[in-house]
Amino acid sequence: MSLYQLHRAIFDYLRAGEVGSGGRADFDVSRYELTDEERKAFDAQDIAALYHLGLHPVLLNGYCRAVGYGRDDYRAILGAHAVPETRTGRWHKDRQL
Amino acid sequence: MAEITMAYCSSHAPMMAAARESAEEGQRTRFFGALEGIREDCRRLGVQVCVVVSNEHFTNFFLENFPQLCVGVGERNWGPTEAWLPIDKAWIPGHPALADHITRRLLSTGFDPAFSQQLELDHGVMTVYHELDPQLQLPLIPIVQNCAVYPMMPLRRCYEFGAALGEAIRSFAGTERVALVGAGGLSHFIGVPRVGDIDEEFDHWFLGVLERGDVESVLDLPDDELELAGNGAHEIRSWLAIAGAVAPVTGKTLAYEAIHPWITGMGVSRFQLTP
Repeated sequence: MSLYQLHRAIFDYLRAGEVGSGGRADFDVSRYELTDEERKAFDAQDIAALYHLGLHPVLLNGYCRAVGYGRDDYRAILGAHAVPETRTGRWHKDRQL
Repeated sequence: MAEITMAYCSSHAPMMAAARESAEEGQRTRFFGALEGIREDCRRLGVQVCVVVSNEHFTNFFLENFPQLCVGVGERNWGPTEAWLPIDKAWIPGHPALADHITRRLLSTGFDPAFSQQLELDHGVMTVYHELDPQLQLPLIPIVQNCAVYPMMPLRRCYEFGAALGEAIRSFAGTERVALVGAGGLSHFIGVPRVGDIDEEFDHWFLGVLERGDVESVLDLPDDELELAGNGAHEIRSWLAIAGAVAPVTGKTLAYEAIHPWITGMGVSRFQLTP
């Protein structure tokens, strides 16, 4: 339906795992109007796909932790999909003007 | 009238509480040593209330409604949100009179903050507040900013917001001695391929800007350039607000450590307002 629905689904999934919440075992993702691609990424816990779909990094960080990926794990997975950065900031000493 | 008795900014990586020992001992000692000195001064100066400007991490707000600014005006707020953060869960006392005054003054000076009678305080506020008052008793007015979701308030506007905030505090007809605190940054990357990287050049540059009082060189920095120092670098908005509140006083760097286990450039900068 929209990227918003994916964000809402992930947000609610993370909240469901918090202390005092219902838990994630019975989380019903069918309540959200996800595209097939979004649903497939969610079901497969495919963090690279979620990254490409545009999931907000704060949510992706929480989701990675929730499904058991440590920081180094998900860095390795996402790193394979990184686009090399050619720009530099004004603070970089080797800046190409 | 109220006075801003002390003003400082600090990074707020959750690991500074949750994985404190993972940092190299020297780095840990220098970083926490700076905050310890501030804590002692807070007591010595008789600070009665702190205003902490930090950022929203989808703790209180989500995409249905995401304010650029929200002032915690309630009698108390709850924190920390994160179950895994080793800080006692507690109701943190607020300061409704000063918070209401701040909100009204901001509204009358061109800013339109949201307000909340009860906020959840996550690591963004709680790590730094806990270092200031481990007993969690000092009244706290939290102000959360949007530093994560586009579109964000431009950096210049954050600085101007800080100036209005400083004026609002100083115009409060109470006797409160106020600590003004910015919490967030410096460079870090979250939920992206470069997670774990720290841009030390950016951090040193930004701290130098505060030391020289040269904020003008930052205020027109576009978001896509700032993000080269990490998506977490947007949190310098809180630092710029504090700089605006106390201008022309400049910030002295008390500590800077690139602490890789905490995936963050960890800085402490204090604006020397009183001897």
